[in-house]
Amino acid sequence: MKAGPGLAASQRLARAVDAGGMRSIDPSISTDVPAAHVLDDLFEGLTRLREDGEPGPGVAERWETSADGRIWIFHLRAARWSNGAPVRAADFVYAWRRTVDPRTASDYAEALAPVRNALAISAGSMSVTELGITAPDARTVRVELNAPTPFLLSLLTKSYTYPQYEPAIRAHGDDWVRPEFMVSNGAFRLQEYVIAGRVTLVKNPLYWDAARVRLQQVTYLPLDRAAQTERFFAGDLAFTDSFAAEQTAWLRARLGDQVVSAPYLGNFVLGVNVTRPPFAGNRALRMALTLGVDRETLVRYVRQGLYEPAWTPTPPLAGYTAPVPAWARLPQAQRHALARRFYAQAGYSAQHPLRVDLHYPTDSDNRRTYEAVAAMWRANLGAEVGTYNEEFRVQLNERHLKQLALFHYAWIGDYPDPLTFLQLFQTGFGYNDGGYSNPRYDALLAAAGNDSDAARRLQTLAQAETILNEDVACIPLYYYATRHLIKSYVRGWTSNIQDRNLSQYMYLLEHGEN
Amino acid sequence: MASFLLRRLLTAIPTLLVIATLAFTLLHLTPGGPFDSDKVLVPQIQHAIEARFHLDEPVWRQYLRYLADLARGDFGPSFQYRNTSVNELIAQGLPVDAAIGASAMLIALLVGGGTGLLAASRPGSWRDQLPMSLAMLGISVPVFVTAPLLILLFAMRLHWLPAGDWVAGSWRHLLLPSLALALPYTAYIARIVRAAALDALGQPWIRTARAKGLPTHTIVLRHALRPTLVPLVSFLGPALAGVLTGSIVIEQVFGLPGIGRFFVTGALNRDYTLVTGITVLYGALIIGLNLLVDLCYAWLDPRVRNRT
Repeated sequence: MKAGPGLAASQRLARAVDAGGMRSIDPSISTDVPAAHVLDDLFEGLTRLREDGEPGPGVAERWETSADGRIWIFHLRAARWSNGAPVRAADFVYAWRRTVDPRTASDYAEALAPVRNALAISAGSMSVTELGITAPDARTVRVELNAPTPFLLSLLTKSYTYPQYEPAIRAHGDDWVRPEFMVSNGAFRLQEYVIAGRVTLVKNPLYWDAARVRLQQVTYLPLDRAAQTERFFAGDLAFTDSFAAEQTAWLRARLGDQVVSAPYLGNFVLGVNVTRPPFAGNRALRMALTLGVDRETLVRYVRQGLYEPAWTPTPPLAGYTAPVPAWARLPQAQRHALARRFYAQAGYSAQHPLRVDLHYPTDSDNRRTYEAVAAMWRANLGAEVGTYNEEFRVQLNERHLKQLALFHYAWIGDYPDPLTFLQLFQTGFGYNDGGYSNPRYDALLAAAGNDSDAARRLQTLAQAETILNEDVACIPLYYYATRHLIKSYVRGWTSNIQDRNLSQYMYLLEHGEN
Repeated sequence: MASFLLRRLLTAIPTLLVIATLAFTLLHLTPGGPFDSDKVLVPQIQHAIEARFHLDEPVWRQYLRYLADLARGDFGPSFQYRNTSVNELIAQGLPVDAAIGASAMLIALLVGGGTGLLAASRPGSWRDQLPMSLAMLGISVPVFVTAPLLILLFAMRLHWLPAGDWVAGSWRHLLLPSLALALPYTAYIARIVRAAALDALGQPWIRTARAKGLPTHTIVLRHALRPTLVPLVSFLGPALAGVLTGSIVIEQVFGLPGIGRFFVTGALNRDYTLVTGITVLYGALIIGLNLLVDLCYAWLDPRVRNRT
């Protein structure tokens, strides 16, 4: 029997992250994706992401929960900080309080909202000691929630729930994130940190599961897409963060299965403003537009088959059956006929066509999609939709002020649960930029929020999503997909919906490249 | 000379003030704030963050605070790179840009200057026409084309040099970015030096030198070089500034942690302090470099010296 290649002698991995770079690697403050990858390697929360992307035991080796799902007790293992000190339950209490403390001014304070009193504390109306997390003893963490939160174990793998080492922060203040001062508890520790540049991590021998970690060094390089592909071909990058969608076929021809793409927790949706013309009180028009898009054509020809067509806002999630509208199963020609009927019913015709602008943030990827969508509406309905691109923050600002009628409304989920997508359409929710409001919908979301029966809760959410589709609260186009170039000698990763791959599972096989 | 220097330094202050004010005003007029995001933020938390960076104050007070900090050489804290001051970002990024800019200028001067002199010594011959055609090409092709081509050749095909990244003190990492940045300047300098040298060589004092029987290299180096340098020096002022600001593209292509990158992401993220800080820094550098050029004029051209 022929043995496969063995482990490479040098276990050093170079990974790329988005060029926007890391803005902070303080777990309480950081909000960007590049830093999240680094923090996943540096720290470990109560739970840890398994290789398949699902949460499993982390610093907590086991836990139990109360019957109503509001109280969770976590039992910690004997884990140590990178300086040898034991990881205590109090380190979690300290970290969570620091995140919601208004003095920390964390953009992510809201993420801890499921924890009791978190919002009141971050709003400054309550003391941090009131937060629903306590340490009954050094190895037990007690968490009290506002409502049953079925996705809690997934939240606990996120950076804003990681423990923090208080003495380092007290001694060095904002500088504690520098390599010379940082104390962390994950599989790796920080060796080098160049702002907006290279970040180098080395294996942490004191990590509780260090015996299983094979990589000795991980380097993160912030690069734009084109540079990532170049550096991959040059051989000094083994795991890229993204590649240009329009290069997919070209890359596949050259790299074969080193081109990796899988479903991602994000949707590409068009927002419609239901509070102003032409969409206010005009469901027929919204129906005409959503029926008038050929999603299969869009995905196949404009997005080179990378993404999946979307008929409903929530992307495919394990255990959740998203309600696909019946019209999605009609052949394209019938959908068009139906679209034209609704278009006429909405009061538009060839003599009196719909004229509206579609606003989107400047990005060549977006431009291709929206020009195709506008062309489909022109061909299928005779509607005159102009595409209008603006710089990201300008567009965001106009969206929030509800000045736009038809706009880019893509969303990346914060946790693998339908709620992260459905709450966008809740009455009064901060980012409900289309102004959608339906008391029946709000009631269903509220009911789901208080339900401790996980299966029933998902059914309720599916009912709510059905209402959303009937009302055409938005026009879903497709679901996002992850896009990586990964050298064939890199092993120990699995594509997952959150696109988080911990370096601690990865290893390198013998290979010809340097 | 001293009074000339002093006068120039004093006039630099109002210029910088105008630059700082313009940068501040333009940024604050741009729609969208530094802490707007497409993620959810409770209003109270948004206010807490804005208060931390004094964004809740009236704009005129923010302006005065900004000027007062500026006077002390403090550019303030960066909004997007939390826990980091703009001064730290500049201290980290400027040496990278300076290293690339200086080596690019060195390459441009040596190669461009040499080629220009060579071309001028035999005008119309192949030694003139070939390099001048190449120079035309160098001027016409932008950096964002040449840089990826250099990477394609030297990093991806030949594997001689790294395709990017920055290691302080490593000439291998410095070479490709400097070369890419130097190309258009080399071409410009070659053409300027050629034209200026031809002009100088046609002057009566060169004829006199030849008549005295001086050897060609003495004529070129002792009598033709200095006047040749005058147009070159006037080009170098803006060119040095161009090398510094032009490295923005180079930084992006090679993934280098210079300040150009901070400048671009800072503008997109409405990082007010970072963008105004770098703008003022660029302004100060350009003023300083132009002053240096003027001092060089005085050294090169006795007429300028006597005027001051």
